Amino acid sequence: MLLKRHIPLMILIGVGLLTLFGHFINNEGIQNFVNNDATQWFDIIASFAIFLGALNMLKIQLMKIIKKQKNWQYSILAVIGFAFAIFAGFFYRGANFITLSDVKDGQLAVVSAIIAEEINESNPHLIQTKLEASQTAFEIDKIYMTSESAKSVIEKLHPYVDTIELKSKPWGAHVQTKGSLFYWMFINIITPLGATMFALLAFFVASASYRAFRIRNFEATLLLVAGIILMLGRVPIGGLIPWWAVSIILMFGISAISAPFIKERSLLLGLTSGGIIIIIICGTFMGWNQHPPELLSIPVIQDWIFAYPTMAGSRALMIGIALGIVATSFRIIIGLDKSFLGDK
Amino acid sequence: MEIMKRIFILLGSLDRRIIFLIVGLSVLIPLLKPEWVNLPIRPRPESQIVFNEINKLNEGDKILLSFEYGPSTKPEIHPMSIAILKHLFAKNIQVYGFALWPDGNFMSTEAFSEVSHDYGKKYGIDYVNLGYKPGAEAVVKGIAADIRALYTVDLKGTPIDDIPMMKDVVNVENFDFVFSLSAGFPGSTEWVQYACDPKNIPMSTGVTSIQVTDILPYVENGQIRGILAGMPGAAEYESLVEAALKEMDLSVKPGKASGMMAAQSIAHVVIVLFIIFGNITYYITRKNKGEDKI
Repeated sequence: MLLKRHIPLMILIGVGLLTLFGHFINNEGIQNFVNNDATQWFDIIASFAIFLGALNMLKIQLMKIIKKQKNWQYSILAVIGFAFAIFAGFFYRGANFITLSDVKDGQLAVVSAIIAEEINESNPHLIQTKLEASQTAFEIDKIYMTSESAKSVIEKLHPYVDTIELKSKPWGAHVQTKGSLFYWMFINIITPLGATMFALLAFFVASASYRAFRIRNFEATLLLVAGIILMLGRVPIGGLIPWWAVSIILMFGISAISAPFIKERSLLLGLTSGGIIIIIICGTFMGWNQHPPELLSIPVIQDWIFAYPTMAGSRALMIGIALGIVATSFRIIIGLDKSFLGDK
Repeated sequence: MEIMKRIFILLGSLDRRIIFLIVGLSVLIPLLKPEWVNLPIRPRPESQIVFNEINKLNEGDKILLSFEYGPSTKPEIHPMSIAILKHLFAKNIQVYGFALWPDGNFMSTEAFSEVSHDYGKKYGIDYVNLGYKPGAEAVVKGIAADIRALYTVDLKGTPIDDIPMMKDVVNVENFDFVFSLSAGFPGSTEWVQYACDPKNIPMSTGVTSIQVTDILPYVENGQIRGILAGMPGAAEYESLVEAALKEMDLSVKPGKASGMMAAQSIAHVVIVLFIIFGNITYYITRKNKGEDKI
């Protein structure tokens, strides 16, 4: 009880209060703790949390496979993917490169030609210039995933070069080296999969908006009108919509919003049609073809929606969330909320 | 009239697969044939502010460029990274890459390698990539306090004391500007709250479209100077940078976002049309059922 509950609680209350009051107490030691030490502690804990998260994920997926829970087949893929990433990150660098120095006399052009062919460089003279200029060992600008593929190039170069070495990028750096196994996995597997998942949203949004974006009541209509204006206003095509088309859209929008308050259908239809005709006649006589009023520009209306109603909503949400965080944090710091200890 | 009703009912009850096919084609055709849909890109005030702020920086100034996005948001944010790097390298500004997301390492590596060669920039002298550290906002706070306490080596494993351009860099106060390429948490908000606002360092951001509403209050307050909002923001910045590069007599490679705007525009129009058809059908079918109230 003491180790599992009281000590963690005391640590939390102590550190929490110190960090909180640290912002109000002008003491170098406390300031240093809040700004430097506490931040580094957090970094250390976060680093360990990565291991904890990875092991937890592995445990959950393996249990799913063992117990053959629903969709357990997908868990096999997750475990294989995890194992492959660990292998590429920790056990197999796959980031070999070749360095050479001391090219034999008169063989510079041959060596340059072989390297140019290897790295798909159309101009071997460029390689030759670099070779001549290199003070230390010259590194061929290509990463070999297997040492065998590098060795075949070494064999080609060997008769013309005195010193030629096969090296590997250091552990850790190999992950970010273009051409390594890990980099290959990220660019060729993770990137397309991630992009595909996100791209699918376009299809779901289209299908969902087609079926669910309905003029059911006043709020739904407001959402629909604002949504359409934002969708058109955010893209260049929105700026190309002529004033008369915008005025028709706006009249329909106003009619849709006012529909719940006008019981007589024919009156609503008459008002909408009349409004459209009046706007088009006015616009034609007032020369809106050249200089339409800003109110009839979709990007301007969209900017207004962003600048006022959206901004007000965002600020209200932010303030609400901030107050919620303050209240929850205070409850945790003074020990009222013990959910972090596993309490419900 | 009855035929029209039937047509609308048919349009309003399309199979999901047909909708997917139409949306797919509306995206695919403009991507494959961008010359068929030539849309003018006019920079919005927020994008113009970002451009002006970066354009104000002088040769040799230092900028902290933070990569907080991954493969899923790459199509939206990566064109911004490329356009910004082009702008910075053309103005000979020193770029310091950081990442608050593990995926950010790959994004930064790709962006730097794509642009640095064209401008003849050297690693460690003109740009450096320090990479990712776990800890989210704590990392931002750490960068604001002491970079060396967090980072001992760069992404390539080189000790940071051996990197020439890291010589006089202690914390965020040594940077002239911060730019966050953000797709969520941790991202722009954390840079404002824990580094740029307390230390009074100017910053801008480029975010995904869905994040814009979360970030706008900071932009309106002036805590973030301008915003590149989603792919349209990327395309607008590309057009501004391309114009600036032309003025500087530098070669211009067209950016990817501008080409993708046609696809996004057509897709948005298609979705709007679906919504309109869906509502007309809804109105007709409700009326047929005797529910004449909307």
